[in-house]
Amino acid sequence: MTSRYESAKNVFLDSVDIEDYIDLDSSVAAYKQLQHSLDKPLKMILIFGKPGTGKSILLNRIQEKLKHQKEIHYFDTPAVSEKEFFHKLFKVLTQKDLPSNTEVNFSALVDFCKNLRGKREIIILLDEAQMYGPEMMEKIRLLSDSRAVKFVVSLHKTEDEDLIAKEHFQSRIWEVIELKNATKEDQTAYIHKKLLKKNLYEIANSIKAKDMKLIHRFTNGNYRECNKLLFTMFEICEYYDKNEPSKVNYTHIPKKIIEMSALKLGYIHV
Amino acid sequence: MYDLKPLELEWKKYRKKKLRPWIMASVGLIVLSILGLILLPNNKIDFSKLDTSFMMASNSVSSEDKKTENTNRKIKSNVLINNALNKLEIEKSVMEQVNTAANEDTNAFVDIPILDGKQENSVRYGQKGRAKVHLDIVETTSVTAYKDVEKRFAKSHEIDDSLFLARSYYKKENYKKSEYWALQTNKIDSNIEESILIFVKSKTKLGRKNEAISILKSYLKKSNSQEARNLLYRIENNKI
Repeated sequence: MTSRYESAKNVFLDSVDIEDYIDLDSSVAAYKQLQHSLDKPLKMILIFGKPGTGKSILLNRIQEKLKHQKEIHYFDTPAVSEKEFFHKLFKVLTQKDLPSNTEVNFSALVDFCKNLRGKREIIILLDEAQMYGPEMMEKIRLLSDSRAVKFVVSLHKTEDEDLIAKEHFQSRIWEVIELKNATKEDQTAYIHKKLLKKNLYEIANSIKAKDMKLIHRFTNGNYRECNKLLFTMFEICEYYDKNEPSKVNYTHIPKKIIEMSALKLGYIHV
Repeated sequence: MYDLKPLELEWKKYRKKKLRPWIMASVGLIVLSILGLILLPNNKIDFSKLDTSFMMASNSVSSEDKKTENTNRKIKSNVLINNALNKLEIEKSVMEQVNTAANEDTNAFVDIPILDGKQENSVRYGQKGRAKVHLDIVETTSVTAYKDVEKRFAKSHEIDDSLFLARSYYKKENYKKSEYWALQTNKIDSNIEESILIFVKSKTKLGRKNEAISILKSYLKKSNSQEARNLLYRIENNKI
């Protein structure tokens, strides 16, 4: 027998799945801003925010939406080496595989891009761009100067990386989109919408406003942390449901379970 | 599925830790209120039983000195008791004096109307504290006070003032003046029985008994006053 909490738990598996995208006031605003920026003749767009604020899902979403209208490519994980990155880029630009045992001539690639100006408009979405070194970033900048390739760079917002990003792209970044942690209202809508999307109405109703406040306090409105907390909560509920049903209140998620989850994830300490 | 027991235990610890400040605060509050309840009556006892506490202190001498101290203690306690009794007696006599003074004062005061703003205050003050009543009365019963009333009457022609003077002078056995002020009152309002009676009594006291009787009889024709009738009886039988 499967517990009702098992499916609820799986809703909050932390994955960048475009199917799981939830329209929220803040995310809709960020999406529209990015879409608008892509229509402008900008060389580079910077998306930054703390981990778990929805940068990757936003890039995924924009790629999914625009893939039939524009030449848009999503580079999810940074390449291990420069060589690998340019191999990948070469394939995107030329739509051909690089012959084995050959290396990309960067100057030739820049010239190629310059020739593409006015003929093609290629958008490259670079996720986790803080992983690229300064040299790589400089080469990316040179490629963007060709105006045939537009880069959307997504960065984690930390003190140092923020500085690097700003200094490095100071002259070229024309648009900056900052993603922030969710407000209590947005996070409540996020949790409810996620559960309702999977028809888990009763469970959605069992998380009351007071619980939402507590969840927001523990997670600071971070979507990733929220997913982790909700996953753990439903995992504990599932355990009780299967082993000690008397401890489960189906109409209301007990505060005890939320606090136990927070303890398990290290949000609070004894 | 993992075992939740350790996590439950951890949560219980967390709960205790979270509740600790609240528990401490409530316990502190309860302790403080209990202490407050205990200490407040104790303070009162200490103040009211100073003599007893002194005696208690004298009781706490060492056992070796007990015998020698015994006699001293008896003397001490006797002295203390005597002192206490003396105090009580003094207090009693003071209270009696104050009471009598206050009673006298109130008698003297019944007839004294409010003379002016200054005296109004002093009268009220006197009513609050007994000691002050006596002092104020000396001033208000002084001759100047009567003169002030007389002056005031000259301007205002207030019946209250003239009647007060008639009444006061009669009490002071100044029958000429009481006769005069009773007549002044009667001139303003001839229906005030008290002024007629004071007038008649003053005449009697001045030795004009027949005149007094004829005035009283003529008054009795107009009114059927029992008091006037009694007064007539007393004058006729030389009881006044």
